[in-house]
Amino acid sequence: MNRLIDFLVSLPDDPLRFLAVAGVILALAAMLYYRKPVAFIAKSLLRNKVRTILTGLATGLFVLIVTLVWSVLSFLSLVTQEKAKDLKAIVTERWQIPSQMPFAYATDLADGGATKKDDVKPTDSMTWQFYGGTLDPVNRTRENTVFFFGMDPKKILTMMDGIDEFSAQDRANLEKGIQLMEEDKRRVVIGIERLRAMNKRVGERIKIYSLNYKDLDLDECEIVAAFPEGRYGQSGLMHRDRINDALDQYKAKNGKPHPMADRTLNLVWLKVPDTATYAKVAEQVETSPKFSSPSVKCETASSGVASFLDAYKDLLWIVQWLLVPVLMVCMALVICAAISISVRERRTEMAVLKVLGYSPNHIMALVLGEALFIGGGAGLLSAGGAYILFTHVLGGIKIPIAFFPAFMVPPDALWWGLGLGVTTGFLGSIVPAVFAMSVKVSQVFSKVS
Amino acid sequence: MSSEAIVRVRGVHKYFRRGSEQIDVLMDLSLDVPEGEFMALMGPSGSGKTTLLNLIAGLDQPSEGEVWVGENLISRMSEAQLAKWRTRHVGFVFQFYHLLPVLTAYENVELPLLLLPLSSAARKRQVTTALDLVGLTDRMKHRPGQLSGGQQQRVGIARALVTDPTLIVADEPTGDLDSRSAEEILDLIGEVRKSLGKTIIMVTHDPRAARRAERVLHLEKGRLVDEATPEDAPRGGSDQFQEAPR
Repeated sequence: MNRLIDFLVSLPDDPLRFLAVAGVILALAAMLYYRKPVAFIAKSLLRNKVRTILTGLATGLFVLIVTLVWSVLSFLSLVTQEKAKDLKAIVTERWQIPSQMPFAYATDLADGGATKKDDVKPTDSMTWQFYGGTLDPVNRTRENTVFFFGMDPKKILTMMDGIDEFSAQDRANLEKGIQLMEEDKRRVVIGIERLRAMNKRVGERIKIYSLNYKDLDLDECEIVAAFPEGRYGQSGLMHRDRINDALDQYKAKNGKPHPMADRTLNLVWLKVPDTATYAKVAEQVETSPKFSSPSVKCETASSGVASFLDAYKDLLWIVQWLLVPVLMVCMALVICAAISISVRERRTEMAVLKVLGYSPNHIMALVLGEALFIGGGAGLLSAGGAYILFTHVLGGIKIPIAFFPAFMVPPDALWWGLGLGVTTGFLGSIVPAVFAMSVKVSQVFSKVS
Repeated sequence: MSSEAIVRVRGVHKYFRRGSEQIDVLMDLSLDVPEGEFMALMGPSGSGKTTLLNLIAGLDQPSEGEVWVGENLISRMSEAQLAKWRTRHVGFVFQFYHLLPVLTAYENVELPLLLLPLSSAARKRQVTTALDLVGLTDRMKHRPGQLSGGQQQRVGIARALVTDPTLIVADEPTGDLDSRSAEEILDLIGEVRKSLGKTIIMVTHDPRAARRAERVLHLEKGRLVDEATPEDAPRGGSDQFQEAPR
């Protein structure tokens, strides 16, 4: 109920969704008011069930493909969109991928490189250290490999993306896990999907053999909580001090620092209130002599992701501007073919309706109505099915692009599916509808008799 | 011209073009049909009977001349205006019934009423009355495929009557029926004419059907050639019609 109220309250903020909801309400009201003609349309569709079902299936399949493609594209578009408020600036090494900065940068970067009185500081910050490991160094498999973010547990709830979308229970579990990590830095949190793959449970202890820090294995890592399925379902989280302490121990044991000791800080997030502050902080960071060896760059989260996605730019363009339109044209043609056959078979019926007083516009509305029924129904069912299947059963569309292992089909897919089906149904039925409305009664009956 | 004529056809000429050739179907035809008359149109195939019926029913437009029905000059109306006019003023009975196969008898009769601003209760009342008039209240939930030819034609007549039209036009209403069913349908049309006082114009090849009319007009090559009383109609049954080419 609360979700419904939230949804309704948020409607005016999204004109497209508002229009979609208004359209659906109007369509339902019209269907209720014109229930006899609507029933007639439904009965007309049932006269050849096989053709109607096949047309619906073909349309549904196209809508499914477009829905999956759009789910990926819309997410990428969302993460590359610049925000105006509460921006996250990402500081990384300027000239190298992957970025590997000295951890000594962390404290000064948390202040946004502010040194002078007029300099501005970020409102919050978080360091990221990546630690990849396996449970079995001899037989390393995808299943026994785990990837951890090393970070300050205090920052997780305020800085990590997507935590607000957790259910109350999941959030409470995470808060408890964070508290336990703060009490003992050997404790870790791992995503539920990764735990399943590793055949481990919350409460178990594991030893992790490092993959990116040679000879920096971590004993006695106690799993204290699990991320829910979804964005962090495959990830792990550990206290950043655990990695730093292990590096210190390595130095004490070997009499020299670890080869990676000065390259453990992968990135730093800085939270700034607005674009003006971001510009100032970025300038401070990029011009500060403290961050000159190696030099760093500061960009917004969206532009950071966008730069990374540059490699996929052409592919995404082709998908968005060639594949999707081609699929829509195919959908319209399928509907056009089915409705055309139906209209040709029923020329006499159209003529009879005209004799009874139905105007050309009525005839057109009946034909368009059939296509809208098939298109809208198939679109809604297909997109709804995709949402349930991929988001709630399969854990997303598993096509790893950039940092994203899987893409969820958003609830908005229901609007896309309905809209897509209705639009292509409309486009596909224009020609047969015009053909139907222009049926000449005298010609039809001269042939019949 | 009769002052009581409800249908007035004046100097109508109807032709079609096939390439550069002009094919004349009706030529300089004038006709009055008084209100409440049951008139039959006869003539050989290609004589223009159905074309004349289509012009009077507002299904086609003359190439020249005027067609009046009541106060309406229907030969000058647009297609949309004609559609609206037909809903209220014309009931059409087809040779092959032309009921919609996906709808029940009730729904077929109700179809023209969906275009009128009536409450569902009023619609129901009118449909039930029409079906009662043709004696099919017990078949109202049947689809056309579940009805005999005669019953389907009864539904067709109920559909033509349901809007209480000014004029009923019937294009060979018994042409697809066996002789017994044909007699029943002709009895029914006669009853409708008598009890409701409707003006009926019927195209037929069947002399037995023509004899039920008050007046029989003969068309030949697009012209009215003869006007006769029903008694003058040639003797013969519907079998004769079955053999006659249209």
